[in-house]
Amino acid sequence: MQQKKHKAGHLILLIIILLTVLLLLPHIIPFFFILVATEIAILALFAAAFNLLLGSGGMLSFGHAAYFALGAYGSALLFKKAGVPMVLTVAAGPLFAAAGALLFGFFIVRLTTVYFAMLSLAFAQIVYTIIFKWYGFTGGDNGLLGIWPTSFLKSPVAYYYFTMAVVGLSVLALYAIINSPFGYALKAIRENPRRARFIGVNVKRHQHMAFVLSGFFSGIAGSLFAFFNGSVFPDYAFFNKSFEPLIVVIMGGTQFFLGPLVGAVGYKLLETFISGRWPVYWPLFMGSIVITVILVSPQGFMGFLERLLWGRKLRSRT
Amino acid sequence: MGKEIEEQDVALRIKALTKHFGGVMAVYGVDMEIAQGDIRAIIGPNGAGKTTLFNLITGDLSKNQGRVHFRGQDISRMPPYKIYRCGISRTFQITSIFLRLTPLENVQTALLSHHRRHYNIFTPAKSIYRQEALDILERVSLKEQVLKPSSIMSHGDQRRLELAIALVSEPQLLMLDEPTAGMAPQERRETMELVARIGEEEGLTILFTEHDMDVVFAVSKRITVMHQGRIIFEGKPQEVRANREVQRVYLGEDG
Repeated sequence: MQQKKHKAGHLILLIIILLTVLLLLPHIIPFFFILVATEIAILALFAAAFNLLLGSGGMLSFGHAAYFALGAYGSALLFKKAGVPMVLTVAAGPLFAAAGALLFGFFIVRLTTVYFAMLSLAFAQIVYTIIFKWYGFTGGDNGLLGIWPTSFLKSPVAYYYFTMAVVGLSVLALYAIINSPFGYALKAIRENPRRARFIGVNVKRHQHMAFVLSGFFSGIAGSLFAFFNGSVFPDYAFFNKSFEPLIVVIMGGTQFFLGPLVGAVGYKLLETFISGRWPVYWPLFMGSIVITVILVSPQGFMGFLERLLWGRKLRSRT
Repeated sequence: MGKEIEEQDVALRIKALTKHFGGVMAVYGVDMEIAQGDIRAIIGPNGAGKTTLFNLITGDLSKNQGRVHFRGQDISRMPPYKIYRCGISRTFQITSIFLRLTPLENVQTALLSHHRRHYNIFTPAKSIYRQEALDILERVSLKEQVLKPSSIMSHGDQRRLELAIALVSEPQLLMLDEPTAGMAPQERRETMELVARIGEEEGLTILFTEHDMDVVFAVSKRITVMHQGRIIFEGKPQEVRANREVQRVYLGEDG
């Protein structure tokens, strides 16, 4: 019991330090890195939402860009066409992503493994094509411009804080979901669907629900990114974008809650440095990094850290 | 075949159950009645259709023909998760537990689902049904290692964990598919004594398949013998032992 209190104390201290660092960060780092930090937070949320499926549910999606884009376009269209206040669109945009996940997910969760992945990719490409071709509504490949935050969030520092707050709350929500009864049953399905059925779990419905939740939080990331970028483009739904969270969670470690967050920091920093110096060679570096991670530490950076520091299993798992 | 059972005492009634895989008749026209409180063994050589019969009853496989009634309710077309809710629990031939979860989480998850709280996304699950889960684990003598991943437990302990998961729902019918497969002789006896004891305490109906004849004759009240997808005999253990046909196909010519 004493030890338990001790651990809780450590955790609280760690969180306070982290919050202080995040709070002071924009005043320490150069301007450019405030933007990078904001982007990292958005990517971290996207990856964490993605990992609800892969890490906790054992479902590999190749089409999560669809829900990122639906969130982004949902917000952008509400903002542009309906004149909804910016802050409200950040709340409403993700509902479009959730609706998309509800519709597509119904079919996708009926399949498993590679078929699951391919059907998710197919739906994402449909979303991409619709956005790309529907000039009158989505702006087609011209995208939608002038998607800027409301006046008090206009400065990069203010938007940084806004993003951190939204991402922080969303990541906490994902943590709660993973550790809820729903999360336990989801992990049970990942481990053994046959057994899960015979403890009374409606496997497909459970997976469908997880898919919608994952789509919703991906949509929040997309929505935040729309106002960060000031514009939305069909590329948000393209399959390149779908592989981003996959690479991030592989780098960070799919079986750790912190995996996607750590992975996002590493991925974005590397991308920033490498494409700043050798713009053409980023994919080469990225490929090499992924190969190295898979060969050296299949459990990602967190798995590596775990072996290094403890040589045993950590608790904060997905 | 077998004596007539009073209608209200029938736990499970199977009628003309048939399943073929391509041209192979795995289960062919099987009729069976299992009385409340029975401990029924299904025996037969490899490929006799025992596991297929199990999977047909529990909805893991779709039926080509036939009906299954459980306590008067038609469960023929139900999916497994609904059949479970009717009061049937099972273990699998290949140990089926949630390997990367701890034994405690395994049983807690089963409890959460059994009490229909598994759609809750807001409350931390860690302390819900913790004590109940520990109690169930203690009943199968797994109190010592409830917080380690189940994947590092011994085979016998994993089997007992699966039994614990199956017992969570306080089922009326417990179906065990080769519960002692891969165990040492000593462990087999202990496990089946455990099953029989729990069955006695709870007034369970138990249906199990088993290859170990010592186990079968030690615990079963009635035995059904299958061969090539059909039932060839059913009766009390001593009747089965004395039957010529059974000796020929199963126990060996000189059995």
